[in-house]
Amino acid sequence: MTSIDNLFLMTLSGQSESGTVPPEGRRIIVPAGQHVDISLLLLHGNADIHVVLTGKQASCRIQTLYLSCQNNRNNLNLEVIHESPETTSEQIIKGIVTDTAHTAFHGIIRMPHQAQQCVGSQNHRAVLLTPQAVVMATPELEIYADDVQCAHGSAIGALDTAALFYLMSRGIAEKTARHILLQAMINDSLPPSFEPVVQEWMAQHA
Amino acid sequence: MALLTIENLCARVGDKEILKDFSLTINPGEVHVIMGPNGSGKSTLANVIAGHPAYEVTGGRLMFKDRDVLKMTPDERANIGIFLAFQSPTELPGVGSALFLKTALNAKRQAAGEKDIDAVSFMRRLRPRATALGITDDMLKRALNVGFSGGEKKRMEMLQMAFLEPDFCMLDEIDSGLDIDALHTVSQAVNIMRESHRSFLLITHFQRLLNDITPDYIHIMMDGRIVKTGDKTLAATLEEKGYDIYR
Ligand SMILES: Nc1ncnc2c1ncn2[C@@H]1O[C@H](COP(=O)(O)OP(=O)(O)O)[C@@H](O)[C@H]1O
Ligand SMILES: [Mg+2]
Repeated sequence: MTSIDNLFLMTLSGQSESGTVPPEGRRIIVPAGQHVDISLLLLHGNADIHVVLTGKQASCRIQTLYLSCQNNRNNLNLEVIHESPETTSEQIIKGIVTDTAHTAFHGIIRMPHQAQQCVGSQNHRAVLLTPQAVVMATPELEIYADDVQCAHGSAIGALDTAALFYLMSRGIAEKTARHILLQAMINDSLPPSFEPVVQEWMAQHA
Repeated sequence: MALLTIENLCARVGDKEILKDFSLTINPGEVHVIMGPNGSGKSTLANVIAGHPAYEVTGGRLMFKDRDVLKMTPDERANIGIFLAFQSPTELPGVGSALFLKTALNAKRQAAGEKDIDAVSFMRRLRPRATALGITDDMLKRALNVGFSGGEKKRMEMLQMAFLEPDFCMLDEIDSGLDIDALHTVSQAVNIMRESHRSFLLITHFQRLLNDITPDYIHIMMDGRIVKTGDKTLAATLEEKGYDIYR
């Protein structure tokens, strides 16, 4: 087990909060006209984050990276509830899983009857570094409103062998090449303050 | 001493035999051209020399600078001087072109026991080469090959060659998709690098690449092996008569 805690960073109406995610999960209420930015780095155990958009023009952006190694079992649950019409949500989830680790990702976007003119998106991408690594992704859209836009995508696979060979054919060692590709995948999805922890994990496990 | 010696090399993908007892010797300073119909195994040869994992070598020898290349990983091969400009260069989303070039050069320097290049020397090495190949700063800032046109990808391959200065340069259909001006630029990049210690293996379908580059040998490849070797006049014969007479 790694000794580093999961990292959590949230900015709501100009107020920032950083720390870890409590085991019982977090419920974040976003009132009208407010925006919340949430970044999460999941290294072990589970994380539950629920965001409720309660007033018009409320919005959220959730960026998550999960890194799982050895024989870890992780669960990541993200839920966004568009309680009010005219709300917007974006989820970007990236994962790297190696050894014999398993990660289950469950992401829900709920748009009840009243949630008209809402926009929601969820994008999940995971790289498996060993044949024994497993990611189970269950994206879920629960949509009862008719005038909404909702998009989700999930891609899970091994590293691109063509890209790996290309880098190696230019003299770059396999481990470095792998790190370059993994870094490229997660690049846009995390705040700089998470960088050192991500680097350390990669150096040890990827 | 030969730079590259290939003896009875056999390689396959899955159950399909592609290289069949392929032999070729390349001495320092020579420019060799391989011509041949589609599917004859030209790209396979280049990829096998570079160490592409999709191809299984089932027999023969491959020596470079007196070292057994078949035992080496692709990065080790690159760092002793083997370079392949790919027929279809891979796109690397999220990997900046300039940073990629720096990482590749530093890998080579580390392998040679040298220290990493500093920022000033890096730019001093990159700038003139990029300019000569018509590669803009904007292209260098973008992710490698992502959204590049066919011609831009080819020129970026040539930039990597010019920048890394390998001793053995394989150019796989570097002329395909290039207009006359770009072709001329690419030919210049090759000619400037011709030196007594450096050799080239050019794979092409067209005589027009050889308007600017004068090769020492031209080989015709059919069905996984060389069926005819000649001097630079062979290209004109081929252009006139086609491959059929060699089948
Ligand atoms: N990675 C691959 N997987 C399957 N077949 C391949 C692969 N590479 C080459 N081949 C097959 O091997 C033969 C030779 O291909 P190639 O070396 O690309 O020829 P050329 O470059 O001379 O056109 C062709 O029949 C091609 O379909
Ligand atoms: Mg080819």
